[in-house]
Amino acid sequence: MYRLRSIRKRYGSIVALDIEELTIAEGRLYTLTGANGAGKSTLLNILAFLAPPTSGEIFYAGKRVDWKRDSVEAYRRKVTLLHQSPYLFGGSVHENVAFGLKIRGIQGEEQRRIVDRALDGVGLQGFRGRKARELSGGEAQRVAMARALALNPEVLLLDEPLANIDRETTGLLETVIASLPSQGTTVVMTTHDPAHLGLLNGESIFLEGGRVVPPPPDPGVSSTREQAEA
Amino acid sequence: MDFLVSSFVSALRLIGSLSPDVRDAVRTSLSVSAGATAFAALLGIPLGLLVGLSEFPLKRLVVTLLNTLMGVPTVVVGLVVYGFLSRQGPLGILGLLFTPTAIVIGGTLLAAPIVANYALASVRGADPRIVPTALTLGAGRFRAVGTLIGEIRFGILAAVIAGFGRVVSEIGVAMMLGGNIRGYTRTMTTAIALETSKGEFAFGMALGIVLMMVALIVNLFLNLLQQR
Repeated sequence: MYRLRSIRKRYGSIVALDIEELTIAEGRLYTLTGANGAGKSTLLNILAFLAPPTSGEIFYAGKRVDWKRDSVEAYRRKVTLLHQSPYLFGGSVHENVAFGLKIRGIQGEEQRRIVDRALDGVGLQGFRGRKARELSGGEAQRVAMARALALNPEVLLLDEPLANIDRETTGLLETVIASLPSQGTTVVMTTHDPAHLGLLNGESIFLEGGRVVPPPPDPGVSSTREQAEA
Repeated sequence: MDFLVSSFVSALRLIGSLSPDVRDAVRTSLSVSAGATAFAALLGIPLGLLVGLSEFPLKRLVVTLLNTLMGVPTVVVGLVVYGFLSRQGPLGILGLLFTPTAIVIGGTLLAAPIVANYALASVRGADPRIVPTALTLGAGRFRAVGTLIGEIRFGILAAVIAGFGRVVSEIGVAMMLGGNIRGYTRTMTTAIALETSKGEFAFGMALGIVLMMVALIVNLFLNLLQQR
């Protein structure tokens, strides 16, 4: 799905990301781990086409990304990023989940059907008319997940989706996330919790100082196919 | 004390009887203030959003300038616009001096920096996740900015109300550019100043009460919006 070559991202004199080669295969689940400041969020923002790298090349579905506005906007309709503390727009849960659908021209009954299905998927049946700002943290996280899933993205990027939420919501979202690759969605998810690596049965990408390095040994996790360049 | 009480009672009678002079001054005040606020919103909101959403050299200077313009005395604005609209001025040929239009022009210049600063503050205070969230859900740049404006709409509305509050309560611009012509350019504030100086304290107090009520309603509305 993605191929990154010689990707560097600098903020002034600081090199936040320095990846020689990384391939992310279609329909797989990856956990992205590393210490704070390792470059996880920077990488996610690049994969989400929200920020271009300072240098290097990215290929998406075999095509070189040129970072022109039109093509970036087209890629963003295929890739969705869910932040750790997702922002819910003012208005109802329905308006939030339907936000991306409206942009794609999906209206009326079809929109309602997709919203209902997405809310069902995260266990929020009957929440469609609720005010988004009156939800609990866990409910808000699930609405944000439903909002992303409603778009049926080719790639779902998740920034610490299981942090700061209750156990019940964690279990539910783990199940939802783990099921996505079988539906053809590529998932890249950052996490600090080693337990998630095994539970989600994903491949691991480990970042250290902005570089991809071999992950530390963990019996519960399959090793990544991508290795850092020496 | 009797003087104040009897004046207050007379003022209430004047308001209750809808004296033509009171009515005219209130109508002129509200109409020129509404006009000036509308133009100030058209200028100030895009300016505030533009400054708040974009990065450019000298941005800090522009922000400082906008802040400074907020505090410019109304008589200075009146003086500058007078210079342009007076017979010898570059726009003297338009014959706008001492018309309600002149007050609207002055009021616009007075309120636009306030509206711009409030709009700018709304953008700066907006949740930084709004635009990235909209972008990652597939919105284009313009739609994402539209979403941001939708999310801070109460702040924008507060900007407009603050601009109205500034214009309706000022006297310098209305006096210098309107000329305080009875039934034509006489506003509540200029009428208060004139009638009080003539010894018509009750009349001035009547208009003062109406002005205070307008200011109170505007501020109540503003507080209501800021709490949302």
